[in-house]
Order: sequence, then C-alpha cells, then structure tokens
Amino acid sequence: MLIEQLINGITLGSIYAIVALGFTLVFGVLGIINMAHGEIFMIGAFIGVVTTSVLGLPLWIAFIAAIGVTAALGYLLERIALRPLRGKQGVSHLAPLISTIGVSIILENLSHHLFGAGNQPFRNAFADIQFQIGSITVYLVQILIFVISIALMLTLSFWLSKTKAGKALRATAENLETASLLGVNTKRTITTTVIIASAMGGIAGILVGMAFNSVNPQMGLSMGLKGLAIIILGGMGNVKGAMAGGLLLGVAETGIVAYGDSGYRDAVAFITIIFILLLRPQGLFGKKTAEAGR
Amino acid sequence: MLGEILNPYYLQVAAFIMINIILAISIYITLSSGQLSLGSAGFMGIGAYTSALLTIHFELPIIVGILAGAVVAGIIGILIGIPALRLQGVYLAIATLGFGEVVRIIFVNWESVTRGSIGLSGIPHMGRELLRFFKDIGFDPDMIGLKNNQFIYLLVLLILVLINIILIWFFTRQNKSRIGRAFAAIKMDEKAAEAMGLNITYYKVLSFAQGAVLAGFAGALYAHVLAYISPADFAYHRAIEILIFSVFGGSEVILGAVFGATFLTLLPEALRFISEYRYMIYGAILVLMMAFRPQGIIDASVLNWFKKNLKSKRGTNHGTRINKNN
Repeated sequence: MLIEQLINGITLGSIYAIVALGFTLVFGVLGIINMAHGEIFMIGAFIGVVTTSVLGLPLWIAFIAAIGVTAALGYLLERIALRPLRGKQGVSHLAPLISTIGVSIILENLSHHLFGAGNQPFRNAFADIQFQIGSITVYLVQILIFVISIALMLTLSFWLSKTKAGKALRATAENLETASLLGVNTKRTITTTVIIASAMGGIAGILVGMAFNSVNPQMGLSMGLKGLAIIILGGMGNVKGAMAGGLLLGVAETGIVAYGDSGYRDAVAFITIIFILLLRPQGLFGKKTAEAGR
Repeated sequence: MLGEILNPYYLQVAAFIMINIILAISIYITLSSGQLSLGSAGFMGIGAYTSALLTIHFELPIIVGILAGAVVAGIIGILIGIPALRLQGVYLAIATLGFGEVVRIIFVNWESVTRGSIGLSGIPHMGRELLRFFKDIGFDPDMIGLKNNQFIYLLVLLILVLINIILIWFFTRQNKSRIGRAFAAIKMDEKAAEAMGLNITYYKVLSFAQGAVLAGFAGALYAHVLAYISPADFAYHRAIEILIFSVFGGSEVILGAVFGATFLTLLPEALRFISEYRYMIYGAILVLMMAFRPQGIIDASVLNWFKKNLKSKRGTNHGTRINKNN
C-alpha cells in the first residue's frame, strides 16, 4: 500500500516537475512569472485529446502535435505579451505578471468555448496494462510517464550545461546586458527559452492526460498555481530545485489523499507557498534572496 | 411616472456597480503603496461568509453582520499583511493568490458550517429587511407610487451610493494627507522612503489592511444584496476581475478605479452578446493595457486635461464679458 502510494506520488510529482521546469526557465532568464504557463499546459492536453480520441491517431503523433502547438503559443506569448513590455521606460515590474494573466484568461476561455466545460476522456491503448511485482501493482503508463520525465530533465540539464545555446541562455539569465555585449543574441535566446518552456508544458499536458484519463479547461489554473508553488519551494530559477520540489509536492499530495482528507489536496500547494515564502523566501535549494528576484 | 423608470433590473445592475467600485477601490489602495494583492477575492469571501453566518445563525441585525465581516477581513488582512511584508512584488502577488485559494478551498470543504460548494442561501436581504422596518413604522411604498420590489432595490441602491460617496471622499482626503503621500513615496522607491524616515512597515500594513477591510465590507454587502453566496463567487476569477477594474480604469487615481468598475460592469449588461466572451475580452484588455497604457485609461494627466479645459472655458466666458463691457 505504502509503496503503491509512493509510486503514484512519484508519477504525479514527475509531471509537476516538468510543469515547474517551464516556470523556472522563464523566471531564470526573464525574471518574470509566466502566469499563462498553466493554460499552455492545458492546451497541450487538449491537443492530445483531439489527436488521439477524436482523430484516432497514435500517441507519438499527439506528442509531436502538442509540442508544435504549444511552442507556437510560446512564441506568440513572447511576441505579444512580453516583448512590448521589455526595456520600456516606466513599466512597473508587475506589468509582465498582469499581461500574462491576461493571456491565461484568454486561453482558458478559448478552450472553454472550443471544448466545453466538462471533462474530456483521454483514451490510449495501454491504459490498463499493469504488472504485479510481489503485492505491488504498477501500471505501464506510470513507468512511461516517469521515463519520459527523467529523459526530459536529463536532456534539459545537458542542453543547459553543455551546449552553446544553453551557455548563452545561462549568460542571459545571469545578466542580460552583459550577455548582449559579449555577443549573445539575447532576443533570440529569450524567445527560445519561452518556446522551450511552453513545449515542456505541452508535453506535461499529454502526460497528465495519460495519467488521469481526463482533461478539462480548468486544469490549467490549478496546475499553474501548483507549478508556482513548486518553484517557490525549490527556489526561483533553480532547475534542480524545480525537479525536487515537483517530486516532493506529488508525494505530499498523494499522501494527503491516501491518509488524510482528499478535499484539502489542492490546499497543500498553497499552504506550502505561504509558509515557504514566509520562512525561507529563497526556497529550499535557492541562494538568491527574495529581493534579488524582483 | 417614477414607477416606470425604476426597473428593478436596472437598479440591481446599478447596485452591483456600486459594490464593484468598492472592490476596485480596495485594490487601488493596496496598489497605491506599490503592493499587488491577488487575495481580494479571498477577503471578500471572508467578509461575505462572516456576515451571512452571523445574520443567519445568530439573527444579528444586518448592519452588525456587515461591520463584523469587514472587521474580520481586516484582522485576517493584518495577520497576513505583517509577515507578507517581507515579500515584494511578484512574491506578494503569489502569496496572496495562494491565500485566496486556501480560503476558497476551506469554504468548499468546511461543509458543516459553509455547506460546501452548494453555498449559503436564505441570507437576510438588505432591502427586504428595510421594507419590513418601514412597514412597521407605518410607511408603505404605495404612498409614493412605488411597488414593493422597486422600493427595495431603490433603497439598496441609495444606501450603496451613499456608502460610495463617503468612501471616495475619505480616500481622496487620505491621498492628500500624510498617509497618502507616504503610500506614494513607498510606491516610488521603498528604500528612499525608508531613508526619509518613513515607517514602511506601518504604512504597508495599513494599506494592505485597508484593502482587506474594504474587500470584506464589499463582500458582506454583496451577500446581503444577493441573498445567496457560494465559494465559486470568491474564486481566482473574481480576484482577476477586481484587478482588471483598477488596471483598466487607471491604477494611479481613485477615479480610475471608479471608472473601471462602472464601465466593465455595464459593458456585459449593455452588450448581451459580449457577456459570453467577457473573460476573453478581459484578458485581451489586460494584455493591451500593459503594452500600450500600463497606467490605465484615466491617469493624472487626463484629469489635469479635464480640469484645464473646464477652467479655460470659464476663462473665455469671463474674457468675452469684459470685452462686451469695454
């Protein structure tokens, strides 16, 4: 029982971690919180529903379609909601936050109109395949989600630390002006970052669809808020912190459902936000102070 | 004749405009010291539930309930505000957003008291209680040619308008006082304000608590005007809606909040086909405003322009009169 709950928690947590990575990448480079990330994730999940359940195409095409659509959304988000605010005189640091909230409301209501308010089933061929290891039941879907998440995190870590583009990204995150003086095309780096973050949101969307078999327009909001909770837990802009925070929240939520009151499952994330911000604003793994991240 | 103009539906919409103006002012006050709070829906809910529960279970007079709602929201505002002072900018926004969600989740789950997501019904209606009071003292709406319904909504609207006038007067005064200038200084540059000897902690908690009290107050009024509340009324979308009132109308002057709340409450009512797309339009407004006019429609320069124009008109009148005399 305990081990099964742990497996459930890790599955959920690895999805959370991918969502949080999208948040943390954008925050690390631009110093802003992308409130539309949760909704981009939700659009990714709906693209998955449309390709697999409505059009009847295989799952790997759903992945490609979701990545494509969410990447395009990321590009639009950067061009429409973020770039006009950058470098403008007299724009408060709250402006990008409010602007991305605007995008999130548009996306949520758009999918509300397109797909309706209810739950859409997400069918896949191997939802019921399961293994028995001793007394423990493990679903194939859970293994798949875990493997994809780990692969994604490793790829991202490798890309950030070893490739030239990753170095450019880290330089931009360190200091935008200096990076620009040193010959980094910061405009392109920022656009790339937002696109990659959004595409990761899209992948997470499909993984959630696979894990829970249901997708609805409201899931973007709650996932977005949980992603925020995780990057605050793990430290803003901290890639490893986002992964650890995601797993931690996933296990904690599963624990509440299994051994506590399931109604308060969503409250775990928000209470975490409040306590972490008050007790350790730099997050569990962060070094920056709250002020530096303004 | 009066009876035909006073359509209860219009009066109801006008009453909601008044409540929304109070909410917009509540976020304007916190913004005026440079703090973005996304917890206004939570405070509104606390005020509404406090007042509703007190009046339903203890049969307290509505006015006691409303004041208690505002006070409870204010106390929780101070409790949240003091520790949240360590947070700035986006961190405060996220913490208050988390707070609002926790409040909503508690309303949904604490079923023995709040009746969960079904919501509370049978809350005493402000207008009907007043009608009973007037009938007790021997006054009947028929005497001035009004139906009961019209009289109820008219009375509610008049009370709300009166409250709004008092609030706007008070906060305009406050803006010109030492407190208002301290808020403005903190918004401009917190460190410089501190160096000038301002007690930042005091002023920031004050502005946060004022916002919380106003939101709780508006929530309590909302409960007694609608007579029904549910947790969905105080969700994230409400917080965003309140934020938009201020951001669209103008977050630097109090009239901006008034204008934003009025315009954006009337818009979906006036254009029915829009109301379905209301939130999409809200979203577009937020994005466009931030890109092109981050200070909102009405700001100090617009107000000055109006003042100058009115003055110059008066000036020319004056001038022509002198010419005639010559």
